[in-house]
Amino acid sequence: MRKDAGTVYIVAIAVSSFALAALLDDSSLSVYVLLTLTATVTIGVSLLMGHAGQVSLGHGAFYACGAYAAGILATQGFPTWLGLLLAPVAAAAVATSVGVPLLILRGHHLAFATLAFHLISLSLISELAITGGDVGLQGIPRLSIAGVTLTSVRSYAYLSCAALLLIVVITRNILASRPGRALRALSSSEVAAASSGVPVGHYKLAVFALSAGFAGLAGGVYAFYLGYLAPGSFPVMLSIEYIVMAAVGGLGKVSGALIGSSVVFLLVHGLSRVGTLNGMPSTAPIILSYAVYAVLLVGAVLFLPEGLVGGVAALGARRRARALAATSEQKERAPSELQPAAVASERVAPKHGSLS
Amino acid sequence: MIRVDDLSVRYGAATALDGVSLSVAPGEKVALIGANGAGKSTLLNALSGVVLKASGSIRIDGRFAHVPEGRQLFGDLTVEDNLSLGAYRGGTRNPAWLYEFMPELGRLRRQRAGSLSGGQQQMVAIGRGLMAEPDVIAIDEMSLGLAPIIVQQLARKLSELNAQRGLTLLLVEQSARVALALCDRAYVLETGRIVAEGEAAELSDSPFVEAAYLGRPVGAAS
Amino acid sequence: MSAFLSYLIHGISLGCGFALIASGIIIIYRITRVVNLAQGMFAVVAGFSAASALDAGLPHLLAELLAIAVAAIVGASTGFVAIAKRGTSPQASLIATLGVGVFGYAVEVLTWGDQPRSFAGLSGAHELWGVDVPSQYLLIVPVTLLIFAGLELFFERTYTGKAMSACASNPYAAGLQGIGVLRMGLYGFGLAGALGGVAGVLLTPLQPVSYDSDVSLFVNGFAAAILAGLKRPVLALAGGLVLGVAESMVAGYARASYQSSLALLLTLAILIAQATRREALQAVEE
Repeated sequence: MRKDAGTVYIVAIAVSSFALAALLDDSSLSVYVLLTLTATVTIGVSLLMGHAGQVSLGHGAFYACGAYAAGILATQGFPTWLGLLLAPVAAAAVATSVGVPLLILRGHHLAFATLAFHLISLSLISELAITGGDVGLQGIPRLSIAGVTLTSVRSYAYLSCAALLLIVVITRNILASRPGRALRALSSSEVAAASSGVPVGHYKLAVFALSAGFAGLAGGVYAFYLGYLAPGSFPVMLSIEYIVMAAVGGLGKVSGALIGSSVVFLLVHGLSRVGTLNGMPSTAPIILSYAVYAVLLVGAVLFLPEGLVGGVAALGARRRARALAATSEQKERAPSELQPAAVASERVAPKHGSLS
Repeated sequence: MIRVDDLSVRYGAATALDGVSLSVAPGEKVALIGANGAGKSTLLNALSGVVLKASGSIRIDGRFAHVPEGRQLFGDLTVEDNLSLGAYRGGTRNPAWLYEFMPELGRLRRQRAGSLSGGQQQMVAIGRGLMAEPDVIAIDEMSLGLAPIIVQQLARKLSELNAQRGLTLLLVEQSARVALALCDRAYVLETGRIVAEGEAAELSDSPFVEAAYLGRPVGAAS
Repeated sequence: MSAFLSYLIHGISLGCGFALIASGIIIIYRITRVVNLAQGMFAVVAGFSAASALDAGLPHLLAELLAIAVAAIVGASTGFVAIAKRGTSPQASLIATLGVGVFGYAVEVLTWGDQPRSFAGLSGAHELWGVDVPSQYLLIVPVTLLIFAGLELFFERTYTGKAMSACASNPYAAGLQGIGVLRMGLYGFGLAGALGGVAGVLLTPLQPVSYDSDVSLFVNGFAAAILAGLKRPVLALAGGLVLGVAESMVAGYARASYQSSLALLLTLAILIAQATRREALQAVEE
């Protein structure tokens, strides 16, 4: 039953995405391409934060890694399709090697380490000759697969849509499988998962590498779409954007990542457009987008920890619970009343001893 | 001094305390006995206001000091600083008067609290509670992990304070022997509910209490 | 020789700035267990505010003090967003401070624009061991030392300072003594704001500040804090100086663009070494 619902869901997304790619006009399509690429990365970030419990302030670096891998290969004369194929591989490989030492860290140390990784990556990109340094990598040829060269925006829209759907299918399959159940166990309690035999370290590394691969694939498409890369395209702010989108939508769920990235991206894009209207100062777009990111992030983390998806689900659950209480004879306490006691103890629970 | 009426406390879906009622009169020595997980610490946390109640009422007349389970000292600070902070709410911040009453603490005053032995830490914890010059002091698992002779010492000191200064005592214990020996009245708490109450002597003799709580030697961890 | 000395002096001044930022991070962390990602933002706001105040005609010391006060208020407000809501985990608070930092960007660009700003500090230079030392450097070091002395005194000698340390040491027990852990947390954030403000006010004459300067300030400050083991603020002074001097040397003798990567790699190495040791110890215990 659940499996059917899942397939319907994916088919629905696929159909609507392709329809949009086919029907939108060129200027909207450029937004579409960037949105789908962003969503692809966000799914990985959401997976990482939701299931492996790790805050990554550096996923923009994996996006850059994939982009530059594809771009470098293409400008060095290799076939472009090879560049696209190797982009996620390169990102995942970097993530694996970096992840082994990094994932020993937890919580804020890990957050800092990922931020450091992004900054060091930017520094490297700016210095190396092969990446074009500060100036950037220019003249990346158009992507051609099996003799077909993609030149129009619409063709890249189809491509990015395909990439997104691929990632969606992969992610859903993983989450539904046995490793996926282990992942869910991991997200609720690392200690419990470890004691039931889940190789926590391996899983964390796997999710980290996988999410990097997703970002790398998106980066590869981006390289061919734009034809030009520079370190300035991958600021630290980019990594923060992914976190905002993942948090707003709801961590750990594909639907959350899709909804979160769509809502945030379109909102920011819309406000940026407002910011460029006549009479607005030149800095208005920046101000509005930063303000939106900030408010959404703080709002999500403080008030909607389950994200939009979770919030809607909780609302539904509360309504059902209330309906049940109203119809039954027994006096039942609504979930919201139970929260204060639990919430109060969270901050100041004793370090030692049981709560007896 | 303390009056608890039909108190219930929940952690999420789990009920830690279910309709608990008890009272402690001024100058009394009352014991609260219960196994691990029975809800004793939760009750004290509710009295301290650290944990919110789901229903019922709590009334405390006068200043209430809570000496928590497991010492819970400020490990990085000196003994003297630990004691001094006990008077944060009120009372004299200078522990000189306490050193007269508990000279061992005076000897340890400059030592880092985290470096002391279990027994010494427990003394500091109780001292910290006393620094608030409370009207009633509640001590959670005073005897846990301590040598019997230390426990006797502490019990003697508390008795003195009760007799001389009218300090009301609420002793929360897993091991009933010490608590029942020291106190006048006792309550038994089991999985969040009061299942027995009465004079300490009566409860000592009760076979139910004997089987469940007096079987364990004094001071042993569960 | 004089090149070495000038790098050294520059590094020391830089290190003092890092140490001030680090001390703010440490104070907040010790009281609330939250890593404040917006710490660099406090310095930036102070730098901008001082520049504006001086432009408006305020005399020097007054402008700087005003800027520090502004930073303290911003700090306390950040704390409010991060920890005021009951039940916010330290991880969530961390993300909240990230959000506040980004909001800071918006406010900064709105108020001061997106271009770098600076203001003149102490003018002139003095000769010290054959090196021309700009006077601003000579201001930074004694001010920093004074502040750290003040912090030590505050935490070790005053009752409120000890209460704050108690919150850091054992928040549960602190709450039982009647210490308002939330209130202490907000004071901590406010104090960290002021400390960041001092850093901003001292450093801006040396390097113009822009709305995105906070990242490198935070990164260096956090690195210094890690080197100090996130314990007592005064240790951050040592950490900051080590880092500042090391970076200055790298910038002087190697390439300037590598200096921030150095701080990052050093910090990462220490973090990973510490964590590995901790895991090894745990494995032994099992």
